[in-house]
Amino acid sequence: MDVGGDGEVFLETRGLVREFRVGPSLVRALDGLDLAVARGEFLAVLGVSGSGKSTLLHLLGGLDTPTAGDVVVQGRDLASLSPRERTLYRRTAVGFVFQSYYLVPSLTAEENLAVALLFQGTYGPAGRRRAAEALRRVGVERRRAHRPSQLSGGEQQRVAIARAIVHQPPLLLADEPTGNLDRATAEEVMALLHGIHRDLGTTVVMVTHDREMAERVANRIVHLRDGRLVDGEGATP
Amino acid sequence: MRLWRLVILALGGLRRTPLRVGLTVLGVTVGSGALVSMVAFALGIQRMAEAPFEMLGLLNNIEVSPGEGDDDGARTLDDAAIDELAALPGVAAAYPNIRAAGVKLLNGEKSASATAVGVATHVPMLGEVEDLLLAGHFFDSGERPEALLSVVLLRDLGFESPQQAVGAVLKLEANGLSPTDAETFAYERRDFAITVIGVYGMPRMVPGFGHGGVLVPVGLMKEIPGIRASSAMARLRSGKSAVGAGYEKAIVRVEHFADLLPLEERIRAMGFETRTLLERLDNMRTFFVFMDAALAAVGTVALVVAALGVVNTLLMSVLERYQEIGIYKAVGASDGDLVVLFLAEAGIVGLLGGLGGLLLGWAVAWGLGTAVNIYARSHGVTRHFDIFSFPLWLLVATVVFSVVVSVVAGVYPARRAARLDPIRALRRD
Repeated sequence: MDVGGDGEVFLETRGLVREFRVGPSLVRALDGLDLAVARGEFLAVLGVSGSGKSTLLHLLGGLDTPTAGDVVVQGRDLASLSPRERTLYRRTAVGFVFQSYYLVPSLTAEENLAVALLFQGTYGPAGRRRAAEALRRVGVERRRAHRPSQLSGGEQQRVAIARAIVHQPPLLLADEPTGNLDRATAEEVMALLHGIHRDLGTTVVMVTHDREMAERVANRIVHLRDGRLVDGEGATP
Repeated sequence: MRLWRLVILALGGLRRTPLRVGLTVLGVTVGSGALVSMVAFALGIQRMAEAPFEMLGLLNNIEVSPGEGDDDGARTLDDAAIDELAALPGVAAAYPNIRAAGVKLLNGEKSASATAVGVATHVPMLGEVEDLLLAGHFFDSGERPEALLSVVLLRDLGFESPQQAVGAVLKLEANGLSPTDAETFAYERRDFAITVIGVYGMPRMVPGFGHGGVLVPVGLMKEIPGIRASSAMARLRSGKSAVGAGYEKAIVRVEHFADLLPLEERIRAMGFETRTLLERLDNMRTFFVFMDAALAAVGTVALVVAALGVVNTLLMSVLERYQEIGIYKAVGASDGDLVVLFLAEAGIVGLLGGLGGLLLGWAVAWGLGTAVNIYARSHGVTRHFDIFSFPLWLLVATVVFSVVVSVVAGVYPARRAARLDPIRALRRD
């Protein structure tokens, strides 16, 4: 399968199914999804809300477990990992960026990064240097002592991106990263993600419903509808 | 993960809801304050009860009585035997301990019944009893017919105040049976004129100085009829002559407390019976162990109630911080990290509450102690009472216990946080 990037498969899903029980009925968020992402690729997953985009990201990030099917990252099936190994995977391999930023409100920008390093077990002089560097990269180092409530939406998302890359993960998962931002700010954030992808070689999987934005930064675009990939412009070749 | 970093993070979590956390800490403060003040009270009362034993040096005394049985090894406790005891190495003094209940004291028309107790005026033993003197002075080492009166006898004898009694000459009437022949006793009555030189008030728990007592020099006590009656009867029962009966009891005072038990052994080997106050003190201590336990249990209940407050606060915190917990998991926190985080929050609440409890307990002790002493002073008691005792171990144990109880209370909320599904937490937009 040609997957773009440098050709080496970084992660893939095989027959991925995820069902949720909502009241009395069973909702199938993902319905046998097969997807491959190359190392160093920037993949955009397009879909309307409710198409299973976020569920896909949670499964790729090891936050959730599939009802059926496999997520294989660098040759390892996430389902085969122990809880401890799964935590380790989240700590080292994945960075998350969310639509609502999800910064801890009681902590400053700097502390939000420190907490991530703390849980990752790498807080220290080197960690602090990396945190400062990440904040500089996203352009908010002057706001590092501010709490989220004192930052604009764009600034909050920049801090969140800094947190996602502070441990230099090979995989960045972005869930509607510009969904809460105005157009101009969204473009800045998108450029930031693109820059990270280009400069650090980070593999990025971004879900969005904004086709225009996706086309500008992604190597490849796939469409998700009702839990399956559907044919369309830029879909799986 | 470094613990102190986590503590800082936990502090950040607690900082979010200062009022609620403050009230929870206050609950733990009241609980541990109740615990520490109750135990301190029990310890203080115990100390007060034991202090006279030490103050009077009674723990250094061995009470000696005649040997029992009719074999030759059983010894009579006469003046010769007492001299022998006094000569033992390590013995500071030995003297007969003579008491006569039911002697009559007369001050003109007024009279009172009292227990006469002999005091070895040459022994410095009761030196500190001067603290208990309400008026007058203690015996000097002479054997003049002088007496110290218990304060409770004053009213019956027609004295208005301790000061008024000092210097009065009373008549002491005593009667009893004295052995006159091998198997014959005679009823004897004697009167003594005694000069009151002082009035004392005695802690009631000290045995041997019945608080309706009149203390006279031992030399005078030896003259009182009837004091040999029961030991003479005992000699008769074992087939010896009633004449030559000794005293019922003697006190051997050791120089160093460490010598007490070896000397007691030695005196037993000489054919006497012995008793020490150690046994009685042991019984009293057993009682206090139960009292401590009962009060500590009440205090613990208060602390457990406070712990429910900790559970409640942390559970609410977990529910409110659903999203934050989800974020932590997304950035790599393990279940164990979250357990430690919330237990650290609980531990901080326990620590602050425990320290606050010490302050509260101290304040309660200060307040009640001051009130008791003001009350005592208003009733003419000059002594100062320390009814609370705060040994260092109690302070440390209170804080440690408070932290442990709070951390245990945090276990359930912490596990809830750890088990939380990050997806559900993050989907709450």
